[in-house]
Amino acid sequence: MLLLEGFKSDCMEKIQDFSKIKFRIKDQVYEGIVMPRTLYEDEDHITVKLSNGYNIGIEKSKIEILKIEPQKAQSEVIQEKEFESHGPKILIIGTGGTISSKIDYRTGAVKPAFTASQIVDMVPEIKSIASINVKTIMNELSENMQPSNWTLMAKEVYNAFESGYEGIVIAHGTDTMHYSASALSFAIENPKGPVVFVGSQRSSDRPSSDAATNLLGAVTFAAKSYSPGVYVAMHASLDDDIIAIHKGVKVRKNHTSRRDAFKSINARPFAFVDIKKQEIRFTENKQEVKGSMRLYEKFSERAALLKFYPGISDRYLLSVFNKDLFDAIIIEGTGLGHVSRKAFPYLKDYIRNEGFIGMTSQCIWGSVRLTVYETGRDLLSIGVTPLEDMLSEVALVKSMWALGNGFNLKEIMPKNLRGEISERREVQ
Amino acid sequence: MKVGFEIHIQVNSARKLFCNCNPKNEDISHLEFRRRLRVSSSELGEIDPAAAFEIKKGLDIIYISGDKTSCLVEADEEPPHEPDPYSVEAAIKISNMLNAFVVDEIHFMRKIVVDGSNTSGFQRTAIVGLNGNFDFRGKNVRIQTVCLEEDAARLQEKGEGHSKYELKRLGIPLLEITTEPLEISSEEARALAESLGRTLKLTGLFARGLGTIRQDVNVSLEGGGIVEVKGVQKLEQVSKVIDFEEKRHKMLFEIAAKLKERGVNEDSFEIDPIDVSEIFKSYANPTVKKFFKDSAMALKAPGFKGLLSYETVPDSRIGLDLADICRLFGFKGIIHSDEILKYGFGNDILNQIEDRLKVTDNDAYVLVFGDKEKAALCLQMVKERLKMAIKGPVAETRYATDKGTTRYLRPRPGASRMYPETDIPTIKITKEMKDKFKIEIKSWEKAVEDFSCRYSINKEMAEQILDSDFIDFFENAAESFPNVPPTLIASLIVQVFIPYQNVGKNIEYDEFIKLIELFSKGSIAKEAVIDLARYMLEKGLSLDNALKEMNIEKLSVDDLRKIIQEKINEVLQENIEPTKLYGTLMGRVMSVVRGKIEGKIVDEEVRKALESLKKD
Repeated sequence: MLLLEGFKSDCMEKIQDFSKIKFRIKDQVYEGIVMPRTLYEDEDHITVKLSNGYNIGIEKSKIEILKIEPQKAQSEVIQEKEFESHGPKILIIGTGGTISSKIDYRTGAVKPAFTASQIVDMVPEIKSIASINVKTIMNELSENMQPSNWTLMAKEVYNAFESGYEGIVIAHGTDTMHYSASALSFAIENPKGPVVFVGSQRSSDRPSSDAATNLLGAVTFAAKSYSPGVYVAMHASLDDDIIAIHKGVKVRKNHTSRRDAFKSINARPFAFVDIKKQEIRFTENKQEVKGSMRLYEKFSERAALLKFYPGISDRYLLSVFNKDLFDAIIIEGTGLGHVSRKAFPYLKDYIRNEGFIGMTSQCIWGSVRLTVYETGRDLLSIGVTPLEDMLSEVALVKSMWALGNGFNLKEIMPKNLRGEISERREVQ
Repeated sequence: MKVGFEIHIQVNSARKLFCNCNPKNEDISHLEFRRRLRVSSSELGEIDPAAAFEIKKGLDIIYISGDKTSCLVEADEEPPHEPDPYSVEAAIKISNMLNAFVVDEIHFMRKIVVDGSNTSGFQRTAIVGLNGNFDFRGKNVRIQTVCLEEDAARLQEKGEGHSKYELKRLGIPLLEITTEPLEISSEEARALAESLGRTLKLTGLFARGLGTIRQDVNVSLEGGGIVEVKGVQKLEQVSKVIDFEEKRHKMLFEIAAKLKERGVNEDSFEIDPIDVSEIFKSYANPTVKKFFKDSAMALKAPGFKGLLSYETVPDSRIGLDLADICRLFGFKGIIHSDEILKYGFGNDILNQIEDRLKVTDNDAYVLVFGDKEKAALCLQMVKERLKMAIKGPVAETRYATDKGTTRYLRPRPGASRMYPETDIPTIKITKEMKDKFKIEIKSWEKAVEDFSCRYSINKEMAEQILDSDFIDFFENAAESFPNVPPTLIASLIVQVFIPYQNVGKNIEYDEFIKLIELFSKGSIAKEAVIDLARYMLEKGLSLDNALKEMNIEKLSVDDLRKIIQEKINEVLQENIEPTKLYGTLMGRVMSVVRGKIEGKIVDEEVRKALESLKKD
């Protein structure tokens, strides 16, 4: 243990993080621990954790160091506690969203805590609902996800079902969770059980986090619903009581920060889980296994999504409706699925070159209908394929999937494969 | 004895610390939502047992959100906005004013709070100033820290299995000023709190009115633990609370000595709560039925005979603390052996309990009726509390009562669970900012003098108003109704508002502004103002209802003359001495017309009437 006494402040460069420090400013002596600076903080200041737990930032030039004691790095010993759990075999797959974390109060760092015993520590109720195993398959912020990540997830899920798991929960960042849920819905035909995506809007280190209840809802549904399919589990409202289970192909993230950001669009949430009562209430008939499970895990990146708007430039249209670059374009049209006549030549050209164009609406809610107005009818005669009430994000993922696995888009895109098209929309 | 203060005072910003809500707005509608706070099982052990119990049992927290005074940030549905610049400035100004070292970077921290008073499960708090000082009667009082933090939500009700919090107060910027523990008397402590409070109020940076300034008082005797007493709202309470604590701590030392004499040590507490339901089940008498439903648990208190009810000052006994611990778990209270005879259970039951617990001559015991699991947990906490009594005064958190006593609130908080608030970037405080944001300490005497001159009221009244929660009312009324003499408004505050507030009455500003307005229009007499105000508060009436009941209507001068004539005729019949004539007449007339017409006018008319009488 090296003690440096009475050094001048220009020796601050050599101070290790977590060293104990005693220093003087003006006439006062302070003691604390040196904290690491983050990437966004400058080098001119030092962060010190005082004995009362508070951190403060001080200009290096002001400090007169009296004593420094570098501390040996404390090795992280994760206490894996034994626990007993009962119920169907459920696999919890981690992809990087921090649904479970632990605070190290000594350093203030929030670290992922994604082992089975750590999850049970966070949500002890799981022990009586399912027999869980945990596997981390990747570590990505969801905004960084690529189709190759979807492929990996699909394979893992397929293999997990094959090896005997009855339900699967996938912890995922919320930003693109609905894209991944769509991807897996198409990639796995006739899954053997429920595949439930789950995330949290409030970081899991805080006591108010929605992580625990969302996870509890997801595991409950995965273990007890006996309704195979791909879903997203998140808060149904601001209350902590009920978790909504949305069909993966009918859900969208509709708010930047609210717990109930995820909403089923053009449909009601498929089911609700009452956390306290441990009950599942379905809003429609359970899904059933209709055949053997098949995996179509490929995705092509030769599809694009275009949001149409007044004043869209010709250059932009030219660059997108380019069969050299893209085999499929999903348009988010206005209203019932319209674009300006100005764009027609580009669309015509693209279709002539055997490109596929699918129409969805930027209104989010409602169904596209090209037979009502002239613009729509003209689009139909150009060869644009209306996709009814399919969400634009879902249509994009479906087209990437269809292209990747060699399907005929004109045939398969308007076909309702996984419930991505609703036959009717209720008055709600 | 050492005393320290933590003063929390609300900054008078137009917005909250981490969002743009203005808490002074009127809400149009309210929304409710339900939450449960969660802590991992391993962390649960580090929180105090009562809070851990509430979380484990799933205490529902219901939050009420007013649409204009709280937003998605308070509901923990949106990340915090950048901190309010006005509040940051105020924190720097006060730090400078107190000669504290102002940090170069403000780092906001999350301090875990799991009782529900913060929707996110933590309070955001940051140190801005360190090691300042405050001059008090020539003494240099060290100020340990000046912190900027958010206020908590207000508990509206606590019921069976749930707590209700209102979000208007959550997020209001607070400055927390902590003094070093000092060796001072309770009276000096009160004066110090008053002086510091006055100094802060005079800066003009803080909100005024009830509840805008709260202090926590820390008391310790040499060799004993530090007791933190929260929520001492009034200055009068400060010295009472400190006196009470000093006596209570001394008493606890006495008890510790007695326990030692009786041979009680840590090992004596290797005991567990025992289920005594069977004993009660066999007795069906009404007394037993009153308490026993289906479960009763008992715990031996080794060596505590006579010590659970022993107190040197009313309400300081350990028995009361144990009852308070039980209430945290939802029980109505606890029954202990020092007072068990008064319940009339009968010697049979008591003997059986004493046998089961193996109680000897110097032992006492406690009983809890109700849910077995809760009772067992509760008695474990009671046991810990009894064990700590061996050492004397226990470090813990208590709260102040209106009477100036203190009651148990929770065990000593463990090492503060704090970690960085990563949603908020650190705020750099430049040299320019430190040089710019400075204020002088204003002299209280001068402020009182200026106030008294400005409104032409005497200095005593001026000081009382400046010390009160009613400065805003005074200034508002004086400025809105320039034809109303400020002395009248001052009297209203000093003679009516302050005394009635002290007995817990709620002063509705709007009603009393209406009262002043009525006077300013000439609809009621000056004397009526004070009478009406008193009546309104006494009976809890609105101005309109009070007017109806008191039948105060302005009298015309003609009607007055009629009454005076009446009274003169009365008086003439009675052979009153001429020198006493005026006084008697005034008295009789005033008893009828008081409040309905200006006393001055009555005086004039009575004199006139007497003059003309003399002429006859």
